[in-house]
Amino acid sequence: MDCPSTALGMTKITNKKALYLVGKTSIEDWTNKTNVSFNSTKIMNKFSLYKDRCIIMVCCLCFQMTFASREKKQEARGDSSFVGMTKIQQNITGVVRDATGVLTGVTVSIKGKPITTITNENGQFTITAAEGDVLVFSFIGYKEVTVRVAVGSVINVTMQEDATTLKEVVVNAGYYNVKDKERTGSISKITSKDIDKQPVTNVLAAMQGRMAGVDIVQDSGSPGGAFSIKIRGTNSLRADGNQPLYIIDGVPYSSETIGSIATSGTAPSLTSPLNSINPSDIESIEVLKDADATAIYGSRGANGVVLITTKKGKAGKTTFTVNGSTSVGSVTRTPKLMNTQEYLAMRQQAFANDGISVYPDFAYDVNGTWDANRYTDWQKEFIGGTAEVNNLQASVSGGSAKTQYLLSGNYRTETTVFPGDFKYNKGAAHFNMNHTSDDDKFKLAFSANYTAQKNNQPATDLTAISRTLAPNAPALYDADGNLNWENSTWDNPLASLLSEFDSNIKDLTANTVLSYQILKNLQAKSSFGYSDLKSTESRTQPHTLYNPAFGLGSEFSGLSVSQTDRSTWIIEPQLNWTTTLGKGKVEALVGSTFQQQKTNRLFMNGFGFSSNSLIHDLASASIKTIDLSDETIYKYQAFFARINYNWNERYLLNITGRRDGSSRFGPGKQFATFGAVGAAWIFSNENFLKDNSVLSFGKLRTSYGTTGNDQIGDYQFLDTYASSSSTYQGLIGLQPIRLFNPEFGWETNRKFEVALETGFLKDRLFLTTAYYFNRSSNQLVGIPLPGTTGFGSLNANLDATVENSGLEFTLRTVNFQRKDFEWTTNFNLSISRNKLISYPGLESSTNANRFVVGQPINIIKVYNYIGMNPTTGVYEFEDVNGDGVITSIDDRTQIADLSPDFFGGLQNNFKYKNLQLDFLFQFVKQEAFGPTPGVPGTAVNQLASLSNAEGQQPLTSGVNGNLINGYFRYAQSTGNIENASYVRLKNLSLTYDLPLKKSKSVRCQLYLQGQNLLTFTNYSNGDPEFKFSNYLPPLKVYSAGVKLTL
Amino acid sequence: MLLLNLISCDSFVDVETPNSQLTGVTVFEDRTTANAALIAIYAKLRDSGMLAGNANGSGVCLGLYADELTYYGATDDNTSFIFNNTMLATTAIASQLWNESYQQIYSANAVIYGCENSTGLSTADKNQFIGEALFVRALVHSYLVNLYGDVPYITTTDYEVNRLVSRMPTAEVYTNIIADLQQAIALLPEAYVAPERVRPNRSTASAFLARVYLYNGNWAEASNAASAVLNNAEYVWETDIDKIFLKDCTATIWQFSPNLVGNNADEGSVFVFQTGPPPFVGLREELYNSFANDDLRKSHWIASVTDGTNTWYHANKYKQNTNTGTSVEYSIVFRLAEQYLIRAEARARQGELSNAKQDLDMVRSLAGLPNTTAMTSEDIIAAVQQERRFELFTEYGHRFFDLKRNGTLNTALPVVKLGWNSTDVHWPIPETELLANPNLTQNPGY
Repeated sequence: MDCPSTALGMTKITNKKALYLVGKTSIEDWTNKTNVSFNSTKIMNKFSLYKDRCIIMVCCLCFQMTFASREKKQEARGDSSFVGMTKIQQNITGVVRDATGVLTGVTVSIKGKPITTITNENGQFTITAAEGDVLVFSFIGYKEVTVRVAVGSVINVTMQEDATTLKEVVVNAGYYNVKDKERTGSISKITSKDIDKQPVTNVLAAMQGRMAGVDIVQDSGSPGGAFSIKIRGTNSLRADGNQPLYIIDGVPYSSETIGSIATSGTAPSLTSPLNSINPSDIESIEVLKDADATAIYGSRGANGVVLITTKKGKAGKTTFTVNGSTSVGSVTRTPKLMNTQEYLAMRQQAFANDGISVYPDFAYDVNGTWDANRYTDWQKEFIGGTAEVNNLQASVSGGSAKTQYLLSGNYRTETTVFPGDFKYNKGAAHFNMNHTSDDDKFKLAFSANYTAQKNNQPATDLTAISRTLAPNAPALYDADGNLNWENSTWDNPLASLLSEFDSNIKDLTANTVLSYQILKNLQAKSSFGYSDLKSTESRTQPHTLYNPAFGLGSEFSGLSVSQTDRSTWIIEPQLNWTTTLGKGKVEALVGSTFQQQKTNRLFMNGFGFSSNSLIHDLASASIKTIDLSDETIYKYQAFFARINYNWNERYLLNITGRRDGSSRFGPGKQFATFGAVGAAWIFSNENFLKDNSVLSFGKLRTSYGTTGNDQIGDYQFLDTYASSSSTYQGLIGLQPIRLFNPEFGWETNRKFEVALETGFLKDRLFLTTAYYFNRSSNQLVGIPLPGTTGFGSLNANLDATVENSGLEFTLRTVNFQRKDFEWTTNFNLSISRNKLISYPGLESSTNANRFVVGQPINIIKVYNYIGMNPTTGVYEFEDVNGDGVITSIDDRTQIADLSPDFFGGLQNNFKYKNLQLDFLFQFVKQEAFGPTPGVPGTAVNQLASLSNAEGQQPLTSGVNGNLINGYFRYAQSTGNIENASYVRLKNLSLTYDLPLKKSKSVRCQLYLQGQNLLTFTNYSNGDPEFKFSNYLPPLKVYSAGVKLTL
Repeated sequence: MLLLNLISCDSFVDVETPNSQLTGVTVFEDRTTANAALIAIYAKLRDSGMLAGNANGSGVCLGLYADELTYYGATDDNTSFIFNNTMLATTAIASQLWNESYQQIYSANAVIYGCENSTGLSTADKNQFIGEALFVRALVHSYLVNLYGDVPYITTTDYEVNRLVSRMPTAEVYTNIIADLQQAIALLPEAYVAPERVRPNRSTASAFLARVYLYNGNWAEASNAASAVLNNAEYVWETDIDKIFLKDCTATIWQFSPNLVGNNADEGSVFVFQTGPPPFVGLREELYNSFANDDLRKSHWIASVTDGTNTWYHANKYKQNTNTGTSVEYSIVFRLAEQYLIRAEARARQGELSNAKQDLDMVRSLAGLPNTTAMTSEDIIAAVQQERRFELFTEYGHRFFDLKRNGTLNTALPVVKLGWNSTDVHWPIPETELLANPNLTQNPGY
């Protein structure tokens, strides 16, 4: 990175200042012989390293100052020797710093006395103490430092970061904050320290493998591809009813997908708005999991709550940060497919088996139309490219003790692994300001995030075709560089790239929190949030997409455009009250929520262009239609309360409740009440364990409560007709939208958790073990209906009980902690089980063939594969009911559960002097279906292993119905389920802090990062991390960057 | 918690019906919106299900499934399976056509229910709308019963009833179809309610009834129903073979209005290609060769494409394959030629040989062919079957349904279709359907 000359000039000045300060304080320390001498020695050692002349000059300057200050000190000493005898109070001043600079906000207190102060933006403090008093310096994330006050008035302290204890860490529980050690609920947290190490663009990617109980799977490796998240299993039978509630700085953020299928891109699902969140602006992510933590979110807490807190400004000198990186990405794993020779041998055998000696004229691959000697590795051709990512982040922050600010901007570009020139650009701005009035009574916090994304992608993911296309298929381009249609003997796959997906999303979230301390123990607070998302997506369908044999011109070209505007406002006033009761402390809050979300959608089509160069302009289309134009309103209202009692930091009781109303339910069904009780016992604070040398922390906590789910879409209780997208007689039709059920109401999710948190050897080993047991009943689901009803499903409350239970382990160990070398390890493991407990009337319901009581709800029923028929060679399956026929209803009864058995992550962090190394292994134990590209022998490429596979059905060119039937049954049988477990080096990060000794305030870090670097698996169909097969798998990304802090 | 229960302010979370939607009751209180509900059904019939002219409609699917078309596209799990007669209960098209058809039936039943309970519609309007909806219900069921065999006959919108229906014997399905059609004929006016014959009138229902009787061997009724149409002065026999598939053809009984201004029948864009080999489907060579050389349909309704060595053929009834600014061709569902052929067969079956020949020759003359030489009733019937193949090729699966009703599928198809099995006469009941409704059973062979 080049530093502009002005920046260098500024650095120089800062350096001088810093040196002046360092010189002065260290020599004073030495003179005063306080017991923080380790500090001065350390600094003096560093001085000895300076060799150039400039430094010597500065050193001389320092000595001059030393003499000056010594004279001054002697005066002071004279005074204090007089007052010292009577232990008269003196003003102690000093500066607190850490390895990188001064620390603001450090609490300085006198042990045993109610005197406390905090350090200012320059790290300075002043406190009145007597000789012999003990000063305690404490700061979150740092080891506590105690200093006995000696004669003299200056005490400078260097604090060390503490990897062992998170006891003082405060976690965000949404409406309130709680000290980590005192929380009664289950909350997982990651901070920017972990997020910044990953070259990712999606907030969920940053969480993957790092949190117990949080199962995250990447849907697609395409830029902007979404992630799926499940917190503690599948609660709802509705596929789209398992989203957690996202809250950004207090504002609920709708994760409902945007756009329309007509304008979707390569991703298997519609655009996820979560891409609007810039990971590098995130300070921390907290995931609330159990009833104690989620019940205060009531109806929206059933699937967990993801709280995202963006970065805040820090008091102190103005800090500039610039962070730039470049990454390259490529596909992780691809299955090994047949080459031309193997493929043609398969095809010829297939025709021979079918008794066909003259190849049909449409069998271009074998009948000589296509070159039998040609070979192309289509996977390499279509998805073998390199995606390039460039990222630049800059920020400025600073402020005084009363007002702090942070402004940051980010720009990122990403290309794809597909052939062609596609780009995903994202720009983000983040602003935060905090202000406290002089009397500390009034507080204001404002934060705003704005992102603009432009994603230009091919409309088709070429992964599927890359795995099925015959390896001797023709060249993609002809001699003139035009798409080659080989006399219309194939649909050139690259033609699909001519259809472009273009997405523009602009997203603003802003939140203001005002609070006022009415009385010493009563605070009024209100947050005002607003979010506004504007999305325009378009997809072109130029006529060149189609085989030229159709003879179509640009009058056949089309354009689809979809616009989605979604805005939300939310007001949440609340009152917080604290008091003491006996030996305990009571915290209480009451509040309410008023929220409205309005979504406007407009889906349009244009058809027929005079030229394809006008295809992006809807106005140029000769025919324009509107597919959809609607406005939906979601209103939400709630009252919530919490009361917490903390008795002597030993016994904690936390009661939360919420009454919710949602417009998504019909009249009379809108309101419901949720609540939870949590309790904890910090037994390490009991007298019999206090100061135990082995057990440093111990807490047993438990919670029980209810939460709900209203993710069912708007207006579902209404019987309505809406305009159909197509016309007839030039008129727009009206069609029934759904089978309606005005009766559906809230579903309830009961959660129970018990957890043990233990710290050993001064918390160098910290283990959390949690067991949860959730039951949801009266589930709100789309009950599948047969097609004879006219619709696929009906929203209704299912009279069934589903149980999710599981164990979660989180282990944090500090393996080494020396001055120059630190090694910490984090490990998490989640084991979850899902079970259908009861389902009255299952036998006569439409789910009779889908669910089994006592089994998980996401089971798949498969045939039991028993081998090949020795005479016909056709696959055979167990005839369960023994009627002599294999039918899906009676014989497809074997139960397969493809949800992960367990998953987790192992993270190691090494620090050696200026070097920091982090790596995360992610592991998942699961099964998945093997590849089923198509009937072997038909014009579809197969796994290379198929050419000599034993126990394989005879090949068919596609006319042998028995073999085809056998193949498709096999695809849905125990025979095709294979181990898809994997261990993956999910993240690797190496950071080097350049030893810029001239100044402490300039910091330059060089880093190398990698994502999905190594994958260990036996899975035969490419990458084992997928939810939708045949889409681009997650990419392997290498990244290099530099971060400069001034 | 109790306290929280006490506080609530219901009005905040009440929402109005969204601007873009109407409640079911409102729709049928007004003539325009009730008409719009029917409009949506016709748009659905045109764009989805069995009557669609696109690649998933009966024209293409059954043309491939029987012996009219060859598939040249990439191997897939859908069209390849139709073409190779290797359909499975899990094949997408089986459930797609099933679901789309029953969705159309639901919409028709919703119109019937809505109109019957309406207080705002006039009796004339009610009759018109209910008549059309009954016609649609009968039409879609007839395709279902022909393709899947015994199928449930759905007459209500109540999902509690519809989710547990059983398969109704074919004869009973036809009884229902005929009852619905007779009621429709009673309710529908003779005059078209819209220009361009894009809405069914009484004659359309009669034309369809004639086909239904024919399929059931009710010869007299078939003949009478066809006569009801053929005697209607509204319909004028078109003698120019190039005008038959134009939207203004006077021999058209019912056709689909296109979605967009300037759009043409979807059949054009599906069948027509300009260079060979065909990008999607082509006409089977045997079919082309079986036409007499002087048959005008061979030269006017079929086009050939050659690359110098090989020649391929495509249906060229509908010639427009793109938007022409002003529409030229609409998809024609019922036309006079079929009625003549129905009556010819029905008359021949009843021994009215000369009248039968007369009807057959009407169709032959249009093709520039001399009068039939068939003399006996068997010969005439056979000649009519042959003529149906030439006249109605690639139209709504006529060829497949004719082979099926005549019981000749298992003799005609195995010769040309290697994958044909005798149980392929019925399509499989979709597996998803069997799983969701315990009362349904599968067809043999699947």
